[in-house]
Amino acid sequence: MPESGFYTPTDIDKLRMENELLAFEVQFLRGHLGLSGGQGSSTSLQRLAHLEEAERDLVLLLRRMSGSPAGRVLRLNANFKTLEERYLLTPKDPGAPKWLEYLQGAESDLVLLLRRMGRPPLGRAFRLKREFRTLEQRYL
Amino acid sequence: MHASTGTHASTGTHTPVLYAGRFVEDFRRSALQEGCLLLGDWDALPACLAAATTTASVIIVGDLLSFPFEALAGEACDVPLVLVLPVDRDADFLLKVFGETVFGRLGFFDRVAMPDTNVWRTLRKRYGWAESQRVAVEGDTHERVAETLEAVRSVGQRTEKAAHRAEEAVLLPRFAAAQSFNADEVPMDVLQVGVGDARWITSFDLTAIRFCGVDEDPKSVALAGRNFPEGDFEKLGPEPSIPHDSESFDLAFSAGSLGLYPDHEKRTLLSEMWRVTRPGGRLLFLEDFVSGEEAAPHVTSVNAFVELLMVATSGQAVLEHVESVQYPGEDAVRGGVLMLSRLGVPKRW
Repeated sequence: MPESGFYTPTDIDKLRMENELLAFEVQFLRGHLGLSGGQGSSTSLQRLAHLEEAERDLVLLLRRMSGSPAGRVLRLNANFKTLEERYLLTPKDPGAPKWLEYLQGAESDLVLLLRRMGRPPLGRAFRLKREFRTLEQRYL
Repeated sequence: MHASTGTHASTGTHTPVLYAGRFVEDFRRSALQEGCLLLGDWDALPACLAAATTTASVIIVGDLLSFPFEALAGEACDVPLVLVLPVDRDADFLLKVFGETVFGRLGFFDRVAMPDTNVWRTLRKRYGWAESQRVAVEGDTHERVAETLEAVRSVGQRTEKAAHRAEEAVLLPRFAAAQSFNADEVPMDVLQVGVGDARWITSFDLTAIRFCGVDEDPKSVALAGRNFPEGDFEKLGPEPSIPHDSESFDLAFSAGSLGLYPDHEKRTLLSEMWRVTRPGGRLLFLEDFVSGEEAAPHVTSVNAFVELLMVATSGQAVLEHVESVQYPGEDAVRGGVLMLSRLGVPKRW
């Protein structure tokens, strides 16, 4: 485990397979809950509000991480840089046709990020923060 | 390495912990403590016990009456337990005194040291233990503990027990779900493909189910038969094929064995599992879907596995449950559970 506390796989094939497994699980759970989100599906306003809230939480979390003293170290991680580019640096357009997909992606990214942050040994330290515990309760 | 009472005997490597309880002074005078951490009843306070279990490879409980079993929680549950039972007590007494609180918590990786075969048989039948869980010992307490210590000193199954507990956490609810689909009065038929040492039998009540296992390795078939003589174990047929009639089982499952087969054999095996499962029955897989384990050279990604499943079952199966599994001490998620229900109309009623 590197000092940053983030899981950094070196084998790209392993990473692909792990992502596939987690994405498959998320896809199954969404289907199971009737939240397919695909074309033609109806996403309720309540769900949309939840997704927007998740996106806001993710942006706030990323801002805090990137502004912290560990921000430079975190930016060495390609995954973190991708998240920064996607949610902090790219301009948002709520009217875009793929806005719903973007929000769903933000929610799953937030879940993955929280899972990784919650892993030992740094997970315990994060959990001392009330805000982190709130995010865990809300999304995990 | 020498023992020290109530303190860590080592750091980094795992060593056996001998809990002598009220008889700690007797043990301290003997040579038994060599190479293990000796604990007395005062060392069983939660903080001391938690510290001792951190580096324990196995906990041998020589004084059952004073050991705080309830204090074993979290990672401490990953340490294999070895209980040295008193000799002059019958099964009724042991059941009344220790019962579920002590015996009920033992799993496949825990051991019981006792000389009396009849008492062992009674307890084994009651709690579904494997024959390999018995350490046959004779003599007084000292001799029995010494023999036990010798028998389990080389047993380094802490990691394996921890992984098994992680797997149990996802599989047991699936077993229960599969059983709940079955009528109570009809015995359930269960098949495990790649049965190995048959450790998953302990998760079922053998009075209510018929357990069969198949394995490619004849040594595993023999081992499973030795562990559970009441089970029905056979070698996989050629190609590979399952030597059972079609639609014979309510649940067919595999746990970490399909990664051994290349894709074309995996497809055949999946097709065979589907064939022997009754319509309405369940197919359950706990497999690695991320390559990396040398022991499983043919791991496929979950999407490729599902494709194989769809081909093998001609799409006549419905995905009911998906769950990823993270093993203790690992950063990545590599395991997953898939449960499917077989569609179709039964050929036989």
